[in-house]
Amino acid sequence: MRRSDLVLLMVAMIAAPARADDLTIVSWGGAYETAQNQAVIAPFAAETGLDVEVVVYDGSWTALAERGVPEGWDVIDMLADQARVACAQGLLLKTDPGALFAPEALADFTPFAPDGCAVPQNAYARVMAFDDRAFSGVKPTRIEDFFDTDRFPGPRAVQRSPDGILEWALLAEGVPPEQVYGLLSTDRGLRLAFRKLDTIRDDIVWWQDPATPAEMLADGRAVMAAGFNGRFFDMAQRERAPIDIVWDGRVIGIEVWAIAADTDAPDAARAFVQHAADPATMARLATQIPYGPTRRSAFDRIGINRDLGVPMRAHLPNAPQHVGRALVRDSGWYANTEDLRQRRFRDWLGDDD
Amino acid sequence: MTLGPQSDTAPAPLRMLILTGIALTVGGAASMAAIALVDLVALLNTVLLVEPRARVQWESVPGLVAVMTILVPTLGGLIVGLIHRHLSPAGRPLGPPDVIEAVQFHKPLPELRSGLVSTLTAALSLGTGASVGQYGPMVYLGAIFGGFAHRLRLGVPNLASIAVSCGVAAAISTAFNAPIAGVLFAHEVVLRHYATRAFAPVTVASVAGYVIANVILERPALFRIEFPGVAHGYEFGLVAILGLFVALAAIVFMSLLLAIGPALAQRIRWPEARTAMAGLAVGLTALVLPDVLGIGTSTLRFATIDGAFGLGELIVLIAAKIFLTALCIGAGFSGGAFSPSLLIGSLIGVLFWTLVSGLAGVPTSGAAIYAIGGMMAFASAVIGAPLTCILIVFELTRNYDVTIAAMVAVVFSNLVSHRTFGRSLFDVQLARRGIDFSLGRDRAHFAALKVVDFLQPQAVTATADDRPADVAERLRAQGWREAFVLDAEGRLLGVFSPGAQEDPPRLAQGLAPARLVFDDETDLADAMERLRGFVGDAVPVVCGETGRYLGAVSEADLVSAWLDEGARLRKEENASI
Repeated sequence: MRRSDLVLLMVAMIAAPARADDLTIVSWGGAYETAQNQAVIAPFAAETGLDVEVVVYDGSWTALAERGVPEGWDVIDMLADQARVACAQGLLLKTDPGALFAPEALADFTPFAPDGCAVPQNAYARVMAFDDRAFSGVKPTRIEDFFDTDRFPGPRAVQRSPDGILEWALLAEGVPPEQVYGLLSTDRGLRLAFRKLDTIRDDIVWWQDPATPAEMLADGRAVMAAGFNGRFFDMAQRERAPIDIVWDGRVIGIEVWAIAADTDAPDAARAFVQHAADPATMARLATQIPYGPTRRSAFDRIGINRDLGVPMRAHLPNAPQHVGRALVRDSGWYANTEDLRQRRFRDWLGDDD
Repeated sequence: MTLGPQSDTAPAPLRMLILTGIALTVGGAASMAAIALVDLVALLNTVLLVEPRARVQWESVPGLVAVMTILVPTLGGLIVGLIHRHLSPAGRPLGPPDVIEAVQFHKPLPELRSGLVSTLTAALSLGTGASVGQYGPMVYLGAIFGGFAHRLRLGVPNLASIAVSCGVAAAISTAFNAPIAGVLFAHEVVLRHYATRAFAPVTVASVAGYVIANVILERPALFRIEFPGVAHGYEFGLVAILGLFVALAAIVFMSLLLAIGPALAQRIRWPEARTAMAGLAVGLTALVLPDVLGIGTSTLRFATIDGAFGLGELIVLIAAKIFLTALCIGAGFSGGAFSPSLLIGSLIGVLFWTLVSGLAGVPTSGAAIYAIGGMMAFASAVIGAPLTCILIVFELTRNYDVTIAAMVAVVFSNLVSHRTFGRSLFDVQLARRGIDFSLGRDRAHFAALKVVDFLQPQAVTATADDRPADVAERLRAQGWREAFVLDAEGRLLGVFSPGAQEDPPRLAQGLAPARLVFDDETDLADAMERLRGFVGDAVPVVCGETGRYLGAVSEADLVSAWLDEGARLRKEENASI
């Protein structure tokens, strides 16, 4: 945040009558929120002297529609596709990105720049991880190996949802990342993806809670798992479990900051978003938990996690040094295919249960 | 007509600078224009719900997608037809044959306005999902930029032709991320010779296109293929057989394409009704078979996945795509035949693979190799550019095995299609306009020169009533031995040569029939062939329709014209810079 903005904001704050909480920030809770608090929210509160309250929600845009106004939500941490829907529903405050960021800063964002409703803040990924003890010789290295039960036998932990696994199925068929969502948009593409899933149908153990896949790998219920990179990182680094991540085929999702349409503190909200999207802030967050920054210049600032003594750059899903295929979750596609995906997935499941 | 701009030639270093400058300018402009065209088409495809990813967004409103599927290509056809009729002086889409004609005969391209209208209608045709290709329009767009050089007088012989070829090479280089294929395409299809003067700038332009598309703008390739390799030696034999099959399908496709246009024009009077009807056919087919819509990038990808199509599905899709593409192009949609050829060919490759591996149980290394082989075998038969197609495979896959396999398929397909149909769709289209490249470039050039342009003003004519002695006297004065005798309407009666026998009292009695007569359509190539064994001063030329005598050409003049044209071609084909 620029110093001049800060001064302006101070003046605005002094002029306005103080309220119990000046800014209500909405996030996900858990270890993520703890890190976010330390790296992003607390420094902002200290810098501006604003009274910031943090509220937890489930991440859906419907929660925003129901609770946003009564609870006085100002800034919300959202998945990019949920933000798209919320934006289309008129639940978010439209802001010109050019008014928030300088042109160089806008060009610094990756994989996409802020739009009228949402400012990218961090990147997570659905990745494939494996139990090192299960494969004593050759280890899995490609997404194809997830579907190769001959070379890599054993149970696979998969979320009971079509998200992520359909992309993997087509990647394993040799479809280049840039065509995956185009092909998944056709009936033939969905059929092929489910045909690929059929090849591991008997080896799947389902999970619902994102914490489960890492636990399944640790306690031997699964030899390979699809899950979120942060959870595998925690299990491997904090619990010292022999789990390794295969970065090939990572499906990168972007979390954004969005401002509620009905915010009563739009200036403070914008100031917070600017602060949170600063490369230094992003790097601070990424040093605490393996959520990658969404600005290129932030990567240069990422060092060692002090609690664990682990250099963090290698554990970020969108770190530039990772090889293999990467797919950015197509939020436009996700935003409008919810029914289709669920219907086709249920049909496929229905075959045997 | 065939003489290029032969202004004073600039010194060699200057020529080199001019050619490099032109190559960079034209290459860069053509590349960016090609990218803009692709982006415009992609935008239209998204907005008009042609592209699968756009269609699936409205999946919850099924009626909307169905209505758009029918309306968009139909209205697109109507608009394209109306634009051609009212805004384009040429009244039709322009494409590679027009470029070939301009470059070969050093003529300007058709007017700029027709070219721009053709590009606009190509964007509309592709954008509304007609079953046509994008490469033809891209090639023409690239050629337009080169065409501006026709107005320049910079002291470089054949500059305009070279500049047009530069634009063509850059467009292909940009489209496929394949700079080597771009260079080859410009030479195989457009220039048809390999002079350094053309080769060097065309290469520069092709690389310029590649740099802009890949290094500066970092555009992804239009399609990307990963390929493991060929597992069994006998598969090279299988792709040769595939090549033969594909050639037959390509011949059916090209013949259908050429036949549909005239047939439609006879039955449907309004051109815009023809395109609208073709669009409607595409839309109705797409309701049950969405793969036929547009360029079919997704379908092309599916073709490389084992078992993506069932056998029956494949046969229906191949037939539908062949028919609809021929219909769309024949009806007057603006667009090429190359990308549909890639798609049809790859589907035939997959069909072949399904038969061989699924039904006959022969172990193979997967569908991809047959899809790629079939794709290139079909496309090379259509555009008549085997080397280009082989190089495209190489540049897209960077895989040696698959390139060799594709080469085998391409060669066998070209063997059959060249023998039974012609070198390419373009050449057959040109031949129908009277420009025949089937016996080589020089023959086509000689054929473009008409003997009627070489009439000898001194030729002696006489009427039947003239006195032989007077005619003999006039002949002596001109130094000729034969006079052409005409009737009252100016038609040729015969030849009179004094002294052959006793001079008759009246000319009419001493007439010999002309041993050789040319008409106003006789070209130099034909004339030289017929002059074999001819003895005499000159050959009379008559009007083909009325039979009226137009003049006479001397054998010496024809031989000189033949030698001059041959020398000019040799000079063009061997020019250093």
